[in-house]
Amino acid sequence: MLIAPGKGGARIVSLNRAARAGGLVEGELLSNARSKVRELQTRDADPTADAAALRRLALWCLRYTPIAAPWDESSGADGLFLDITGCAHLFGGEERLLANLSTRLRAFGLFPRTAIADTAGAAWAVARHGARDATIVASGDERAALQALPLAALRLGEDGLLLMRRLGLRRIGEVMHQPRAPFAARFQAELLRRLDQALGHAPEPLVPVVEPPVYRAQAAFVEPIMAQEHVLEAATQLLEALARDLERDAVGARLLRLLLFRVVSKTRLLNDAEVVSLDLGLAAPSRDARHIAQLIGLRLHRLGSELEADFGFEAAAVHVLVAESLAERQDRLAVGEANIPPEELARLIDRLQQRLGRGAVRQLHPRQSHIPERAVRARPAAASRRSSPSPRSSRGEGRGEGQVLAPALVAAPHPNPNPLPTEEWGEGAPMPARPLLLLERPEAADVLAVVPDGPPRHFRWRGVLHQVAEAQGPERITPEWWRRTAERTRDYYVVEDVEGRRFWLYRAGLYGRGGPTPQWFVHGVFG
Amino acid sequence: MKAARIAALRRGMAKLERAHPGPPAHLSLGVPQMHAHLPGPGLACGVLHEIAATVHGDRPAAFGFLFASTAVALRLRPGFAVLVAQRRCLADFGTPYGHGLVQLGLDAGRLLLVETKSDKDALWALEEALRSPARPAMVVGAIAGGLDLTTSRRLNLAAATHATPLVLLRSSSATSTSAAATRWRIASAPAALDRFGAFAHPRWHVALERCRNGRTGQWLIEWDHVAHRFCLVEGVADRAPAERSGIRLAG
Repeated sequence: MLIAPGKGGARIVSLNRAARAGGLVEGELLSNARSKVRELQTRDADPTADAAALRRLALWCLRYTPIAAPWDESSGADGLFLDITGCAHLFGGEERLLANLSTRLRAFGLFPRTAIADTAGAAWAVARHGARDATIVASGDERAALQALPLAALRLGEDGLLLMRRLGLRRIGEVMHQPRAPFAARFQAELLRRLDQALGHAPEPLVPVVEPPVYRAQAAFVEPIMAQEHVLEAATQLLEALARDLERDAVGARLLRLLLFRVVSKTRLLNDAEVVSLDLGLAAPSRDARHIAQLIGLRLHRLGSELEADFGFEAAAVHVLVAESLAERQDRLAVGEANIPPEELARLIDRLQQRLGRGAVRQLHPRQSHIPERAVRARPAAASRRSSPSPRSSRGEGRGEGQVLAPALVAAPHPNPNPLPTEEWGEGAPMPARPLLLLERPEAADVLAVVPDGPPRHFRWRGVLHQVAEAQGPERITPEWWRRTAERTRDYYVVEDVEGRRFWLYRAGLYGRGGPTPQWFVHGVFG
Repeated sequence: MKAARIAALRRGMAKLERAHPGPPAHLSLGVPQMHAHLPGPGLACGVLHEIAATVHGDRPAAFGFLFASTAVALRLRPGFAVLVAQRRCLADFGTPYGHGLVQLGLDAGRLLLVETKSDKDALWALEEALRSPARPAMVVGAIAGGLDLTTSRRLNLAAATHATPLVLLRSSSATSTSAAATRWRIASAPAALDRFGAFAHPRWHVALERCRNGRTGQWLIEWDHVAHRFCLVEGVADRAPAERSGIRLAG
């Protein structure tokens, strides 16, 4: 039995069967309970751990449906809603689904009470207050099913229940037959809202444990699979099934999730990661099952032994979380070097990212800032949404409704089309010399200068002394005042040592302005 | 007599090649004296070229040469370039800086940077980029270790798939027994100054240490980031930009 501090002392939160048989009820003061039953074993309630466990259970339940929503506080936070719309037939009907679910949950050592109904509210009511452990309310029978249940089955708050009890209303049926208008006028909206939700007159949005996919395919295996290649094979088959749906809707997947459901042994009660979830982002929408399967293969390869199959996987699902339009495209008529389909670049980026990680493949973009390290941003690469500026890319062409394109009218293609998204570098005034390689963070250097605020004469960096042969500068860069940082004004010098190596040094801070002594840093090197 | 016939045949070949406009089979370095040592007019496409710094401190210079040849490729060929670098290579002297690349004449918007944890991953990524039907204009790599015969052969084969130019920067200390077509050593040299005394063009000492079907040699060259070509520096002591010899290409 679980206890938690409440009004007037520790109160009972939850009971096991033995305690209930002893006549204890939830909400009772612990001291009263002790007087009833001599030997009580108590544990402190841990709502956080409960919520986490419920979440794991919800993830585990994704094998039944993509929408699994743990109950919130007002629903008791001790169960799950599963939206099985369109899912029951996969398990041979609602009865079988329910039986399957209950059997498996019992194997975890849980005592599930389950119900299926048209509305979440009715299912909740029947599951919590119905006579049997597993109930299926036939479509349209909610009214009849709810009649006899106590008002608590409407998920009313403590106050609402007390009020109803004082009015002598105990059963849902009694409320249902009351005239609606006076009720609505006298009581909080909660009662009618809950009633409407249970009867399907008002919507009850579920908050799914993971975002529901746009498209999905799933399969259960007769024998658990373990080997990486089998997982890949299963994923490929699911992807092929998905590809047909995607093609029908003329879309391509941009973000996919592969879910692998582990066989759960009885001895291990729902540990973490009973479900292995791999997210794959694509550089451009695709519905090419072979390509995506390759990416999954690379990803599994990267996971290597981290993908612990234990007793194997008993089911797998592929969800498409983000889909973007992907029209049928005609291959170019012309053949030659310049006609490389732009999606090939996206595939290359995908393959590199799956094996090396998303951050590993980047493209440099200029940024409006005069602080050197902020003036360039490396972003994960993505293929350009527009294809390269060749004649075919202008929209509408190639659809060719009797349209004849005079070659002279088509703008000449750029000699070197760029399939990557481009931004203009070097806008505005020409920039003073910038190094080829920029250090991750500036590194301190010991500098000797002839005059304090003059260029360096020699400097020591990483333990090596460099004699300066030529120094150019300074280029003064002041901190951006709108950023509240402790940055100091920097005076940059391009310095060449006697061996011809050029460095980018700066002195942070100014002489004669007070403050800490200026310091020298190496910020980059030139090629 | 024989030479004249060969020259005539070469001209004929060149005409035939012009009939199929496509990227040239060589990355022209723009220095006839260097081309004389190489089997073709520049760095051959579709084979591995290996470069290393003379000493570790010259690695930035080697990166400079690497990016300068990438700039040549991006001028001559369509598409994008791929740089695959092992993380340690970037941690050492820093990561390629966009504005610096632009000042070297390289279109930074057409460069894909791939950073890997190990040399093994870097070599995998290089092969992947070379074999990709996306056909990068050029693939360059930087690894922390050396190259062995097997990996360099694999890279040669991968580069031949789409005749992609491939230049790989390896460690200056590792001994190399690779199947690369050419092997270069790069060292820093004082840069050329313009008439105002500002650094104008980077210069490098390049040594061709090994060249299949060619001769070794060494030169002091200067990079012209506007014309995207190298020039030979004749007088070593002279810090004025080298006289541009021969025809000047429109850049």
